[in-house]
Amino acid sequence: MKDTTADDEPIRSTSIHQARPDLDILPASRLTGDATAEDLESIRRRTSVYVYEAPVRLWHWINAAAITVLCITGYLIANPPPTMMIGEATQQFTFGYIRFAHFAAAFVMTIGFLGRIYWAFVGNHHAKQLFILPVWNARWWKEVMFELRWYLFLEKEPKKYIGHNPLAQIAMFFFMTMGITFMIVTGFALYSEGLGHGSWADRMFGWVIPLVGNSQALHQVHQLGMWAIVVFMIIHVYAAIREDIMSRQSMVSTMISGHRTFKDDRPD
Amino acid sequence: MPQLETFYDVMRRQGITRRSFMKYCTLTASALGLGPAFVPQIAHAMETRPRTPVIWLHGLECTCCSESFIRSAHPLVKDVVLSMISLDYDDTLMAAAGHQAEQAMEDVIREYHGNYILAVEGNPPLNEDGMFCITGGRPFVEKLRHAAEGAQAIISWGACASYGCVQAAHPNPTRATPVHEVITDKPIIRVPGCPPIAEVMTGVITYMLTFQRLPELDRQGRPAMFYGQRIHDKCYRRAHFDAGQFVEAWDDENARRGYCLYKMGCRGPTTYNACSTIGWNEGVSFPIQSGHGCIGCSEDGFWDQGSFYERVTDLTQFGVEANAGEVGMAAAGLVGGGVALHAAVSALKSAQVKRQEAASEEA
Amino acid sequence: MVVQTPNGFSLDTAGQRIVVDPVTRIEGHMRCEVNVDEDNVIRNAVSTGTMWRGLEVILRGRDPRDAWAFTERICGVCTGTHALTSVRAVEDALGITIPDNANSIRNIMQLNLQVHDHIVHFYHLHALDWVNPVNALRADPRATSELQQAVGPNHPMSSPGYFRDVQNRLRSFVESGQLGLFRNGYWDNPAYLLPPEADLMAVTHYLEALDLQKEIVKVHTIFGGKNPHPNWLVGGVPCPINVHSTGAVGAINMERLNQVSTILNLCDEFVRNVYIPDVVAIGGFYRNWLHGGGLSSQAVLSYGDIPEHANNFDAEQLHLPRGAIINGDLSTVHEVDIRDPEQVQEFVDHSWYDYGEPGVGKHPWDGVTQARFELGPNTVGERTHIREIDEAAKYSWIKAPRWRGHAMEVGPLARYIVGYASGHEQITDQVTGLLRTMDLPVEALFSTLGRTAARALEAQYCADLQRHFFDKLIANIRNGDESTANIERWEPETWPTSTRGVGFTEAPRGALGHWVTIESGRIENYQCVVPTTWNGSPRDSAGNIGAFEASLLGTPMERPEEPVEILRTLHSFDPCLACSTH
Ligand code: HEM
Ligand code: HEM
Ligand code: NFV
Ligand code: SF4
Ligand code: SF4
Ligand code: F3S
Ligand SMILES: [Mg+2]
Repeated sequence: MKDTTADDEPIRSTSIHQARPDLDILPASRLTGDATAEDLESIRRRTSVYVYEAPVRLWHWINAAAITVLCITGYLIANPPPTMMIGEATQQFTFGYIRFAHFAAAFVMTIGFLGRIYWAFVGNHHAKQLFILPVWNARWWKEVMFELRWYLFLEKEPKKYIGHNPLAQIAMFFFMTMGITFMIVTGFALYSEGLGHGSWADRMFGWVIPLVGNSQALHQVHQLGMWAIVVFMIIHVYAAIREDIMSRQSMVSTMISGHRTFKDDRPD
Repeated sequence: MPQLETFYDVMRRQGITRRSFMKYCTLTASALGLGPAFVPQIAHAMETRPRTPVIWLHGLECTCCSESFIRSAHPLVKDVVLSMISLDYDDTLMAAAGHQAEQAMEDVIREYHGNYILAVEGNPPLNEDGMFCITGGRPFVEKLRHAAEGAQAIISWGACASYGCVQAAHPNPTRATPVHEVITDKPIIRVPGCPPIAEVMTGVITYMLTFQRLPELDRQGRPAMFYGQRIHDKCYRRAHFDAGQFVEAWDDENARRGYCLYKMGCRGPTTYNACSTIGWNEGVSFPIQSGHGCIGCSEDGFWDQGSFYERVTDLTQFGVEANAGEVGMAAAGLVGGGVALHAAVSALKSAQVKRQEAASEEA
Repeated sequence: MVVQTPNGFSLDTAGQRIVVDPVTRIEGHMRCEVNVDEDNVIRNAVSTGTMWRGLEVILRGRDPRDAWAFTERICGVCTGTHALTSVRAVEDALGITIPDNANSIRNIMQLNLQVHDHIVHFYHLHALDWVNPVNALRADPRATSELQQAVGPNHPMSSPGYFRDVQNRLRSFVESGQLGLFRNGYWDNPAYLLPPEADLMAVTHYLEALDLQKEIVKVHTIFGGKNPHPNWLVGGVPCPINVHSTGAVGAINMERLNQVSTILNLCDEFVRNVYIPDVVAIGGFYRNWLHGGGLSSQAVLSYGDIPEHANNFDAEQLHLPRGAIINGDLSTVHEVDIRDPEQVQEFVDHSWYDYGEPGVGKHPWDGVTQARFELGPNTVGERTHIREIDEAAKYSWIKAPRWRGHAMEVGPLARYIVGYASGHEQITDQVTGLLRTMDLPVEALFSTLGRTAARALEAQYCADLQRHFFDKLIANIRNGDESTANIERWEPETWPTSTRGVGFTEAPRGALGHWVTIESGRIENYQCVVPTTWNGSPRDSAGNIGAFEASLLGTPMERPEEPVEILRTLHSFDPCLACSTH
């Protein structure tokens, strides 16, 4: 990754939307690896950056929908609604549909996630952010601390980020990248029980059951996984809306249009 | 090693006709889920195979596995003991005691070295130098190791031998230990259950006699033919599960209609066993059919998964006792509250900033 | 050295020491050592329970509604009796009452266990102490048939051809050279007294009983889903009843009830036509071998069981009697109250447990189970290789329960002596009838044979009672009551924060009690005092010996190196070691 400026001393009073190679814009983003040369070029040319390509956006919303369905149906699997008497058991499939919706959403989520992994390889720089934490980058850690202080109301003004802010990135990595993987592995291990000994799911995921102890323990950890994701969702949606209002850049619209726009043109 | 007589020899000498012998083979084939094409193979096996000596040891246990075994109807246990195997040592049933019993075991180990089956019921405790289970003045674990050394294969009967069972439940005061953790150099087939179904026990034995090999085992060393599916997969109440028709309380109207016991803590969805297919005591019933949920008695560690009336395990790791749902709900509630608070503070802050900005603009 | 025990026995350790370990054809692990004098008469006896699993420790902190499942696994032989005792203890603690149907079903299951366990014990664990299968090969099947028709004329399987088939099968088995369970038996020991015909008849019934016992337990399967280890429920029974409407196939319905009824008939017929006649016939040949009385003529105890009405445990409402007899005084049957801290107490001075202080007895509500394995200084051998145990020190995994300080015998004989002494109608009839048939005095009851005969009589009584409660169940259902469980106090929120309770039954082997204390919805302490804990108990701090030890004293042995007589008398108690130590 090449730097656009050699000079580390920023010139403050100037707008960032100017072709001035001596102006160090968005140093935090640049030094944590968030901003590429192209991004910075883009900012100079116009007021926004194209961050989330169409497949990422599409995935985001499909994934969000699938996980929402999985959480609702999963909750109902764990805590079935009161018995309904629509007809004889052969005429009624209430709980079966709930489970079916769970499995259908599970397949959507899984295929989507595989597609998302593929896009990490072929998509733009920001498509990789979900999968790699730049833990070796000292500046990144500094920005994590900064972002933490921002959320603790200890900073007056947030910084600008092109992709995810470092704190969000951590949350996404653990709760989503790892979380979805965990739910897929444990979910398909559970699914393999229904398909039976020797099925594809059993061959691929059956090993998980003795690993966690027994089938019941597997249900337990799968359910715990859900609650972890629910916790993430609460924070995530809140943070997205809050930052949309309080940060210096666009949030929700970014996940719709793909473009990150900035509300001011100060360098950082 | 002396010549062992074949199973067929024994049956013939006991006045069993060729015809009923073939009938027996047909029954065996169907009991094992094999087609009629296998009957000649089974017959051939029976005609040429000797009666296999069996040493049956007892460790820390409740003897329900033996009790279950003697309930076998297909085949009858008397036929197993008189005609199929040679049960040369079993403390619970043998005539001799003391020195004569110990001698019997030594003789079998010597005479049939490498050719006998070791069946283990119960398990060895390892704490207190093994003296929580003493036989012949010595720790049971010594006897187990000694008998295992010359065994061809080992059968771990029941939850005790397979997983540890109730005496290994927390805090496992005697350090009761499953057989495979003590004997690591022999093929071990685990036949879990508390106890296992009688016909599963004799089915495993007749399979081994018929095919002269261990049955196909799953990842946990259980015969796939009997433990390949969950109770839930073949439960006759499954239609009510799928319909969402559940027993909501003991002896309610739904219970009397035989609805699904999921909400009463049934562990059928997490338990691998043959109860919902073979049934108990000649298929008369099985736990769910008689109105109580499955308690998961053939699963590893089923005693420590929380109350039998909750189908999701309690978490004790965090000091408090609650299940995944309760922990998750609490966490989500906490975070939700935190978020609301954070939102409120954020709103106040930004209002403050706006006022300041407005003030400075005015100025 | 001769020692006089406070409960009236003299122990002499001078003679040859004989060790029997393992004691076989019992449940669990047990060791027995005796000293015999120069005439081969037993002068000192030591019984050691050689296993411990720690169920009382494991139960702490658990949900009391689960306790039945744990305690049921104390024993697979008397399966269900601990479960019943446990749900009663928890119901007592939480103030839960059960519906009438639940009482009838529980009683049927408990009585069914009595019948089953007694039959299996007699034929498969005890018979080989009296019956010589090898000798049966010499029998004339025709003479056997005649014997059968004489002693059990109503038993249909009695033709000479039938006995010949069994004999042939036995012969080829023996001739195969692979003797299996009969290997190394004591078949040429003169202690065996039966003529070949009786041996053949008994061996035949051994096989018949083996076929039958799997039928008997189907009553448990119907109400509890399986056997061994049927399911139970705090507040009632888990099986709902529905005899009228849709969905009845998912509950106890007419077909299920009919099946129970058929099985009750089977029990009754076998006990009446085979079991009792066998005991009479075999007993007749051993009528002069009246050893093994031990404590039975001194001190016997029973808690009573089988309540006629749900939730009423008053002594006069129980079909199996309650009471204690001490000091050999049959004219006084003492009242028993197992809540009374003075009555039931456990001592551990000779047991591998630790109370922190010597010489104390603890009532089970205050019971402590803290294992401590250590051998006395006079042990011969090493810690993990005991050759001779030192009974002056700790020597057993069994605790020593005492009733008002007395070592007591429990079990069918104890129940029958209490019943006989208190004038219990059916029991008295049965006992006097049997004594008359066999032409024996009352004193003959206090013996190994008496114990074995009481068990058979009890099987018959229990088979009859099963029918009584079955009829009662049907009548109640006919009156429109299908209720089987009371769930008012199912949820822990409805429980008191701090409570305690006790449950009791008469298990096949004797008086059984579970004492539970519950704190904040969890088990705080759980103590079981089990029949074989009483019978197999080691000495207490005062030096009283337990029932096993007492019963062996004075018995002459034909060949000291072949413990037939020891087995005979120990087996007459039907020892269950997994139960005794739990
Ligand atoms: C975010 C993703 C997911 C969430 C939040 C989720 C949530 C849940 C929950 C709460 C349960 C109930 C657990 C219990 O109490 O037994 C459950 C069960 C289950 N889930 Fe998921 N799950 C997810 C993904 C998956 C995936 C990817 C699969 C794969 C097919 C899957 C398959 C299953 C199966 C088979 C069950 C058991 C259903 C049953 O017992 O009938 N889940 N899930
Ligand atoms: C109304 C609901 C939601 C809104 C408004 C929303 C908004 C956003 C926004 C603005 C971003 C970009 C964050 C950034 O720029 O740093 C984002 C990213 C993301 N969101 Fe959501 N989100 C929603 C629901 C969900 C749900 C339910 C999930 C899954 C549980 C989810 C998972 C993700 C993930 C994994 C990313 C990272 C995408 C990537 O980097 O590829 N979102 N979301
Ligand atoms: N002792 C004893 Fe039991 C009985 N009967 C139980 O309480 O056998 Ni296992
Ligand atoms: S596995 Fe269960 S049934 Fe078998 S001996 Fe152990 S406790 Fe008894
Ligand atoms: S009763 Fe149990 S095993 Fe049967 S369908 Fe319901 S949950 Fe599954
Ligand atoms: S409790 Fe056990 S007996 Fe079968 S139905 Fe469940 S595995
Ligand atoms: Mg106790």
